[in-house]
Amino acid sequence: MEMSLFLVQLLNGIQYGLLLFLVASGLTLVFGVMGILNLAHGSMYMIGAYLVYYFAAMTDSFWLAVVIASSIAMVIGVIIERFLIVHLYKRDHLDQVLLTVGLIFIFNAAQSFIWGNDPLGVDVPELLSSSIQITDIVEYPVYRLFLSVLCVGIAVGMYYVINNTKLGMMIRAGESNREMVENLGVNIGTLFTVVFAVGVTLSALAGIVSAPVVSLVPGMGERVLISCFVVVVIGGMGSIKGAFVAALLVGIVDTFASVLLPGMSSMTIYLLMALILIFKPQGLFKS
Amino acid sequence: MSVFSSKAEKVFIFAFFFIALGIPLFFNENTFYVNKISTMLILSIFVMSLDYLVGRTGLITLGHAMFYGLGGYLFAIMIPEYEVVNFWLYTFYVMVASGVIALIVGFIVLRTSGIYMIMITLALAQMTFYFFADSTEYGGLDGLFIYLKPETSMFGLNFLDLDNENHFYYLCLLSLFNCYVFCKVSLHSRFGRVIDAIKENPERATALGYNIFHFRLVSYVLSSSLAAYAGYLFSLQYGFVNPTMMSWEVSASALVMAILGGLGTIFGAILGVFVYESLHYGIEHMTQYWMFWMGSLIILMVLLLKSGIAGLIEQLVGGKRK
Repeated sequence: MEMSLFLVQLLNGIQYGLLLFLVASGLTLVFGVMGILNLAHGSMYMIGAYLVYYFAAMTDSFWLAVVIASSIAMVIGVIIERFLIVHLYKRDHLDQVLLTVGLIFIFNAAQSFIWGNDPLGVDVPELLSSSIQITDIVEYPVYRLFLSVLCVGIAVGMYYVINNTKLGMMIRAGESNREMVENLGVNIGTLFTVVFAVGVTLSALAGIVSAPVVSLVPGMGERVLISCFVVVVIGGMGSIKGAFVAALLVGIVDTFASVLLPGMSSMTIYLLMALILIFKPQGLFKS
Repeated sequence: MSVFSSKAEKVFIFAFFFIALGIPLFFNENTFYVNKISTMLILSIFVMSLDYLVGRTGLITLGHAMFYGLGGYLFAIMIPEYEVVNFWLYTFYVMVASGVIALIVGFIVLRTSGIYMIMITLALAQMTFYFFADSTEYGGLDGLFIYLKPETSMFGLNFLDLDNENHFYYLCLLSLFNCYVFCKVSLHSRFGRVIDAIKENPERATALGYNIFHFRLVSYVLSSSLAAYAGYLFSLQYGFVNPTMMSWEVSASALVMAILGGLGTIFGAILGVFVYESLHYGIEHMTQYWMFWMGSLIILMVLLLKSGIAGLIEQLVGGKRK
């Protein structure tokens, strides 16, 4: 492979990996703190993308649409936690699976009802619509670079919040011992609502910012959810650091597989996962 | 000691098979309903195999449809084109082949449990889905066609014609009955007792000297082969296989049906399938956004109905007899 093409693929892989991290970090955060496996996590990715499409068309401003769409996603998160998830804390995994599968059905029906089943697209905002010339024929879109930088920024922000703030302290405490946190007088109900809302907003945000580079189709949420599972299984459930490393690994492997092994590209990441599981059943970073 | 674990089960099983025997006579000329119910009988086998794994062995999987699809694909791939094969022989081939695959998959999947197992089974099922959806050799998203139905002669006797809807219906009913008997007998055996013990308390079962990995693996292989058999019947009924059979929606709705019927009851699988499919059919008839209502129903079920319809019937008919 030529050097410049290699560089472009590497950048694509990193960008895809960072987006996966955004989704996976929300999933793993919710599981780590609350012990809830939210299968409708991917649906929030889809809803985010469709909301930004809707509001970008309505307001004519991509950035305004980003703000509105993420606020709506956060409100949806709060509502779901307060009215549904709250009943699941004392139940087993199976009930969590069922209830969140029910939510996927509802989100998919809403998507098809409001926006229909034809593929939709969002324009890249004008400010970032140019490309960087790498060689005479190879160029790289600025918006994709912006995506990577944004995701790294969010990852650094999360790292700071979790390690240096009071909320982060409660999150870390919740991850290691939920009952103890409650006994120490932390309002665990509010903490759970905040964590859940932030978790689904991260997923929705990934959908929102990637809307200009993907096509909006029904079922896009489930595709992301499954890739996200691979990331979380490789990285270790509940570990945000693990999610970061695994997401980059999956992003890069997947991107190169689709260039080098076109026939079996969609299987590569699952083979990678199976291989890692044989040697490390708990993932690379056990939390 | 009775074969049935409750009075409700006894009443239901007798009533169900009695009514089911008469269905083709009742619908006489109307093959539409006979076909529809045949499909539900096939689904009941699939959901029963899932209940065996989730409800009795305590292993939650979101990838069971992988074996359902494989059952159809294995058959479609193995048969020589334009040649009528023997049904019973290929039943054996399909179940053994899928059992071998389940042994390998189970070896990876059962290294984990709980939430991990849910995610890994789902991921592996999706991998198989994309494998068939992307392959040109196996027809991609269109899948494969089965042009000729197998013949069913055994020891020179041939009394079933699979092209006849009523004959096929009775084959499905017989298969479901056998599947039910197999599940009950194996769960009543020494093996079943150990499986129950492992579900209740894996640590204690290990301490008693049982290798829980081996028992779980056997249960996984049995359940997967049954699921493959159901998929094989489904492909025979419709004359084709495609990747949709192993999509995650199939796994998820099978799980919903098993829980709707009452997890771990085995006979509840039949109830779950018939109630879910009737609702599905009814709602789909009224609105194209049936998923919205289905999703709402599932959520309500989780919040309100804790032991499924089987539990509801048990309350009405009377307590457990055990």
